[in-house]
Amino acid sequence: MVETQTDPGSLTFKEAMDELDGIVASLESNTLELEESLLRYERGVALLASLQTRLSQARQQVDVLIGKLEETPEDEVNDTTLS
Amino acid sequence: MGGAHETLSVSAALNLAKKALEGVVVRIIGEVSEVSIKAGYKAVYFSIKDEKSSLPCMMWNNRYAECDVDLRVGMLVELTGRFSLYAAKGRMNFDVSSISKAGEGDLRLKVANLAKKLASEGLMDASKKRSAPTFATTIGLVTSPRGDAVHDVLRTLRRRFPLARVVFAGVPVEGEKAPLGIIEGVRCVVDAGAELVLIVRGGGSYEDLMPFNDEGLARAIASCPVPVITGIGHEPDTTIADMVADVRASTPTGAAQEASPSPELLRELFVRRSMELDNSINRRIDIEESNLDGYLKKPIFLDSTELLAQSYLATDSLAQRLSVALPGNIKRNEDALSRAKTKLTAMLPHVLGSYEYEVKASYEALLNQKDALLVPFEHAMSLTASRLHDLSPLAVLSRGYSMVQDESGSIIKSIKRIAVDDQLNVFFSDGGFTCVVTEVPAVGGDMCIVDLRGIDRRDDDTDAVSEEWKETLW
Repeated sequence: MVETQTDPGSLTFKEAMDELDGIVASLESNTLELEESLLRYERGVALLASLQTRLSQARQQVDVLIGKLEETPEDEVNDTTLS
Repeated sequence: MGGAHETLSVSAALNLAKKALEGVVVRIIGEVSEVSIKAGYKAVYFSIKDEKSSLPCMMWNNRYAECDVDLRVGMLVELTGRFSLYAAKGRMNFDVSSISKAGEGDLRLKVANLAKKLASEGLMDASKKRSAPTFATTIGLVTSPRGDAVHDVLRTLRRRFPLARVVFAGVPVEGEKAPLGIIEGVRCVVDAGAELVLIVRGGGSYEDLMPFNDEGLARAIASCPVPVITGIGHEPDTTIADMVADVRASTPTGAAQEASPSPELLRELFVRRSMELDNSINRRIDIEESNLDGYLKKPIFLDSTELLAQSYLATDSLAQRLSVALPGNIKRNEDALSRAKTKLTAMLPHVLGSYEYEVKASYEALLNQKDALLVPFEHAMSLTASRLHDLSPLAVLSRGYSMVQDESGSIIKSIKRIAVDDQLNVFFSDGGFTCVVTEVPAVGGDMCIVDLRGIDRRDDDTDAVSEEWKETLW
């Protein structure tokens, strides 16, 4: 996995999640060389940081394909459809 | 006001009207146009209308609760009740005793039949239902661009999973054109890369929700390449779209929740992953450390002589054995050598004797052969000598021929080379003389005339002549 490390930022959220899952599983299997373990740990931490940063900095993007979306009311407005 | 017998107070007049009105019980069909249902009120207030007229209605809360109708503007209803007058305001009301949705029975039957048909085709099979992806990053949203539903969904997604990009198709969700619009909207958002599709709509009457009971839409949802989540109306409204969808939420907000991971789940997941990473690497390092400690405590690392102890012992032992073995071996070899030398010395005369005899015999045989060896060569030499003699020019001259040279010593082989006054040397086998040409005949003549002036006879000098010739000829 050392050979082609994609920048965590260029992975999709799900890809990064999946890779992180794989890293945790491989580390827990404890079958790797120590050096490889350390590299994967480092990669895992980078992925985790990227995922968290992404979530905390994300701003909703809405692409309107059909129709004209009315202005979004403030979040403070009561959610009238909540039952 | 002709025909009025007496003058009445306002109250009395209204009382009169009230009595006249309240005796009339009627069934009315009309469209609900205004609804006011407020907590604290004892009754529900609304209006019904047709093209020309409007009638204010009220229904006591207990009756309203019994009839199981959710009044909405635009709903076509059948009311039973009587007219009544609210004296305090002089206003006429229709006091509703029961209410039902007009024509709803037929619609419900049609929808139920369609549901049965689609179910029999397997469109609602539980095994066909796909679960929504946990981390869908492109979410399709198909609903009206106006109203609360769209914003409920966007707000919920923004709160829970702002990372998701929403591709939105604003379509009509009521009326005849709604089903085709929704189908087109679904196609559009799927084309734009949606990993799942939300089809939502706020609450409405049974008729309002009819587009979601459309057969074409149901088939489009069932064959959608990505999972479809519906959030149509409110519980307990269930449309056919809900039945064929992969996930059915009861409201638009609920649908948005189904489409996104909760912040709690994500937070928990990140904390867990972080701990798993740390734990596994720390455990690994601990193991390596304890392995290393184990090695450091081995005797080899505590005392380095241990490492070579075995080798030292082995070399010492070999050296000792060598020091014992070597002198003995040398002595043994010296003895053997000396024995061999003695033996060889004893054998030598005997061995040489036999070779001496052989050499002598060969020598004598060789001597006997000496003269015989030369005979063939001597014979061959004499033959060669006689052939040489035959070929000698002297032998030719001795047969009566003579030879002519010019002054430079070149042999004259043709009369053409001779001119008058040339001095020529003529040789025989036993001597020669010099002469001068006095006359040369034309070519083809027989002889030339020579004058023998200045004769230089050399008859007694044959050997010298032949030497000179040899130089010339060879």
